[in-house]
This record gives sequence, C-alpha cells and structure tokens, in this order.
Amino acid sequence: MLEVLEGGIQTTVQDFPGRVGYLDLGTYPAGPMDHFAFRTANLLVGNAQGAAALEVMVGGLKARFHDRRALALTGADTQATLNGTPLPLWESVAVKAGDLLEMKMLKGAGFRSYVAVSGAFDVPEYMGSRATFTVGGFGGFEGRALKKGDQVRLNPGGTGDTQVGRRLRTNLRPQYGTHSEIEAMRGPQADPDYMTPDDMAFFFSHTWKVDRNSNRMGVRLESHKWQWARTGGGIAGGHPSNILDNGYAVWTVNVCGDQPIILVADGPSLGGFICNATLVSASTWKVGQLVPGRDTIRFKEVTMDEAVQMAQTLDTTISERSIERG
Amino acid sequence: MPQVMPRNRAVIDTLPARGARPPVTYRYAGDRFLLLEYGDMVLDLTMNFRIFGLNDALKRSGVDGLIETVPALRSMLIQYDSLRLPTRRLVDTLKQLEETIASVDDLNIPSRRIELPMAFEDRWTRADIERYVKFTRKDAPNVSNGHNIEYIARYNGLRDPEEVIHYLCATEWWNACIGFWPGLPFMFPLDPRFAIVTPKYNPTRPWTPEGAVGIGGPCVAIYPVASPGGYQLFGRTIPIFDLQQRNPAFKDNPILLKAADRVQWVRVTDEALEAIREQVYAGTYRYKIVGYESLNVKSYLKFLESVKPEVAAFQRRQAEAVKQVAIP
Repeated sequence: MLEVLEGGIQTTVQDFPGRVGYLDLGTYPAGPMDHFAFRTANLLVGNAQGAAALEVMVGGLKARFHDRRALALTGADTQATLNGTPLPLWESVAVKAGDLLEMKMLKGAGFRSYVAVSGAFDVPEYMGSRATFTVGGFGGFEGRALKKGDQVRLNPGGTGDTQVGRRLRTNLRPQYGTHSEIEAMRGPQADPDYMTPDDMAFFFSHTWKVDRNSNRMGVRLESHKWQWARTGGGIAGGHPSNILDNGYAVWTVNVCGDQPIILVADGPSLGGFICNATLVSASTWKVGQLVPGRDTIRFKEVTMDEAVQMAQTLDTTISERSIERG
Repeated sequence: MPQVMPRNRAVIDTLPARGARPPVTYRYAGDRFLLLEYGDMVLDLTMNFRIFGLNDALKRSGVDGLIETVPALRSMLIQYDSLRLPTRRLVDTLKQLEETIASVDDLNIPSRRIELPMAFEDRWTRADIERYVKFTRKDAPNVSNGHNIEYIARYNGLRDPEEVIHYLCATEWWNACIGFWPGLPFMFPLDPRFAIVTPKYNPTRPWTPEGAVGIGGPCVAIYPVASPGGYQLFGRTIPIFDLQQRNPAFKDNPILLKAADRVQWVRVTDEALEAIREQVYAGTYRYKIVGYESLNVKSYLKFLESVKPEVAAFQRRQAEAVKQVAIP
C-alpha cells in the first residue's frame, strides 16, 4: 500500500493505452500524457509497460510505502528524495516499508513525472481500464486525483528484488527543454478544401506558444487569423472552422474558431470543428512535458511511412535492450 | 483548360459515386486513425444509415488490426494498428465493403426503441434557465415566462408550448451518434414533418441539470451530467448515464444509449418523473427498451417520399416564422 501524505497538484493513476474501445460511446481513452516516460517506468521495475502507475503533474507528491518493492521515477525531474536522500531518475531502486517518497514542485523543464512500483498499483478496472478519466470522474483511484489520506493498494507479490538497479541507457533519456519539435501528419481536414496551402504552411512553420489554460483535455495554442478555404461552415455553422460533427482522433489538432487545440488524453470524442493535423503516435508523449504558459512548439510534418517507422523505433527503444544494470 | 487543384495530402484515396452510392473520401487522421466520409456536407439520414451498414460490415469482416470505429452523421472514424494493418490494406478492405452494401435501400439497421419519460417545461430546467437570465443575460430573447419552450414555438411558427410538445412526441428520435461527452446522444427526428429547429444560446448557459433535454439546430441532445450547454431546453428525462451503475440498464457500462437507437418521449408530470428517477437509482425501474428491431431503409425512404408535401408546407411555415423572431 502507498499512503498519500500530500497529493500534489494533480496525481492520478493511469494505465496504457488507457480505455480503448469506448470512443463510440463518447469516452476518450485517458491514460498517461507522456507514454514514453510512463512505459519506461514500468519497464524498469519489471511490469508490463501498460500496468497501472502514477502520473504526477508538477510534482508535490509526498507518500509513504508500506511494502518492499522496486520503484522507478521517470519524466520531469522533481528533485525527489527517499527518506531525504536524492533519488535517481530513469533507474529502479529498492524501497521498504516505512520509506518516505518526497517530490518537490517542478521548477525546471518538463511537466509530468511518473512513479511505477513492481507489481503495480491495484485499483479496480472500470470499462476495461484502470486509467483515471478526469472529465467523467471515473477510473483510477475513485475517479479522481489522489489526496492526503488516500491509501492506494499494490498488487500482492512483486517485491521487485530482482528488478532493482535497472537503468535506461543515458543516450535514450529525453532532454526536456522549453522548445519542442513535434511530428504530425496533415489532415483529416487540411488544404486545399478547408484551409489554404498558406494556412498549412504557416501551421507547420510557426513557433506556437502553449497557452496557460491547458490540461488533460486539451493543450491550447495561440489564436491565429487563418485565411480559410471556405467562407463559412455551410449547414454546420457560420464559421469556416465548423463542420458536421465527426469523431475526433486522439491527439489531433482541433481548430476551434481561430484557436488550435491539441486534443489529448481526456478530450472530447466528437465535435463540429475541423482538425487540420494529427500528431503521430511516436510523438504524442512530448506534449505531456510541455509547460503551459511558457514552452513553445513547432509541428514537423511527416508522412505515414515515416510515422510507422517512428512507431517501430519507439517500440524498440522502450524494450529490454535499452536497459542496463549496475 | 481543366482546373489544376493542388494535391490534397490529407486524402488517402477516393471512391467516385456509382449509381445510388455516394462518393467516398478516405482521409488520414494521424498514423492510428482514418476518417471516412460519404458525399458532401449535408444533413441526410440516409448517409448515416449507410455508415451503420458499413460499420456492421467492417466489424463482421474480421480484418486484423482494426481497433474501434466511431460512426457519425456522414462519417466514420476508424482506429487501427498500422503496424499490423497497413493503411493501404484497410482502404482496400473498406472499398471492397462498399460493393457489399451497394444500395442503402437494402439495409436493415439493427435498432432499439427506447421509451423515455419526459417532464416538459419541468421545474429543474426552469430553475437553471432563470439563473441564466439573472446572472448571464437579462434580455435573452430565447427566454419567455422563464423557459425556452415558447421561443421554440415562435421560431417554428407553432401556436404554443403545447404544440411544441405535440411535435416532439409525434416522432421517434434517431440517435445518429454518441460523443463529445460520455453517453451524449445526437438525435434527429425520423419523421421530418415534425422537424423543429432552433438557434443556440448566446452566450452559452453555465448550468444545465443532468437529464435535461434540448435542441440546437435540428439536433436533440440529452445532457448525461450537469454541465454548461447551448441548446434550447424543453424538458427533463431520467438518467442516461450512471457512474455507480445502480440500475440493471447500466450493468455493462454507465452509458444507456447507443448509436442507431430510437428514442420516443412519453409525457409525464414533474412529480411522476421525480418518482421514476428515484426508482432508477433504487434499481427497481425497468427502462422500456425494445431491442433489436430493425429499421428497414427501403420502407423508410418510401415513407419520406409520401410526406414530402407536408414537410415542405411546415418548412414554409418555419421560414415565415423565423422572420419575426430575434436570434439570441
């Protein structure tokens, strides 16, 4: 059991790939905002990559262990300590009953950290997943972020003795900065039918600022005066960003009026605005580390073939061959 | 000289119209999703029927690597594992399936009929509408006598709230798709003689009770939870979403309605609704669901043809009425 002493700003139980198969009932998948760090944390402690682990947004989590386990922290650096001693990132360590984990509030680069323990967190499955869906208030631990006094159970077994001292190779660890390049594909509604070629050229060359009003539903970028290929939305509405409602791909860029919003883990499943580009699966994790109100991004256009190649490479990276012991 | 269009890099492939079949566009939506669209951007339920025919055929095809589908009005979003199912193979499969559902006329769409009790102009939606007038917009033209239903009447050239209620109960409501929020239905009238329309709130309403029912444009929605909203409200029904799954209707998941369901309103008083809602949560109420009948598209299209003059007459009446009414 993990006893929560301070929950921090938003600490949730997640699994990967989340609640898949319910988009047609209006439910986005939830799951980690940064699946690279999430899956790697599980890999380090010997869990299945999708097992239930914690996503800690901007730090502030303080918790006590009541079992002997292997623990791995990945993602943004919260200057975490175990019983006051600094904890390494991207590396599994042993914890025992009574040990105190403390994560400070994030100051540097990155926005989310992940906490995996061997054996994984034991929360009930809801609609086939243990991921917390913050909008609907279901999944994870009682459908909400953790707070002081919560006791999160761990699965029995999994002391993790053999999983201690595993490290992700240094050259594979992501370096979070204040600017990111994020790979995306054009479409479904791009140019020349919805936006002009100039609009799309701007989209893929502009340095976009991440709006402070961003969360697990949407990561907002700044508004822009688009040229638009159409004068209105026809029967769907007065604005040229309006279309007849259709399903939204997860991690697509939704242009709502003038403002682009990346629809992320807990987003809306369907709506009546165009999506001019969609992030590729191997790049979505970078979004989870963007600091709202500070960081900037640029979208780099890739082809379908390149996206598939990237996905294969990422799967290879998050695997046993990337782990060293010592 | 033929006009040279720039290449559309978002489009994977197209299938031109043939006979009664609309043209099909296959679009990229990243490396995990594909968006399929029928015809042009018009509101036509026969396109939606065809989407369900295709959805059914695709799921039965058993193509390896298909993850899930999201049917909508004239489109379907498809999630697939592109490492197992190359885009080309998926598109080829989809094109082949078009041949198996060549005519929408031949479709029989499995559809449940669900009767939902409805308290029209109820006290719960009234309370939130009154708050809106008090705190958000004092001169909202879409509120009269503390409710939206008179405005709906005026906008459509109907006599009074009673006639609006008559119209709403005179047709089944076709759930074309679910989305935006878990379990939220987008419903359209199967009988176009009763197709009322309204503009939306401006600005939106910060409060809506759970179970409230409203109309925006031609579309009727039930609010699964208390939330902000923009539709003109006309009543309240029983829960269509229950996280705690307190009723057998929510045994499999907390969501009652599925796409291709047909909803029929059954008028009840506020007091009756309140009593039924208590029974829902006590687990004793049995939702009135007739499943699965099927909707035969051929006979439906024949019906549409037969009511054309009446539909045109109502549309003229609406067009006249709109001229006299302020838009929010």
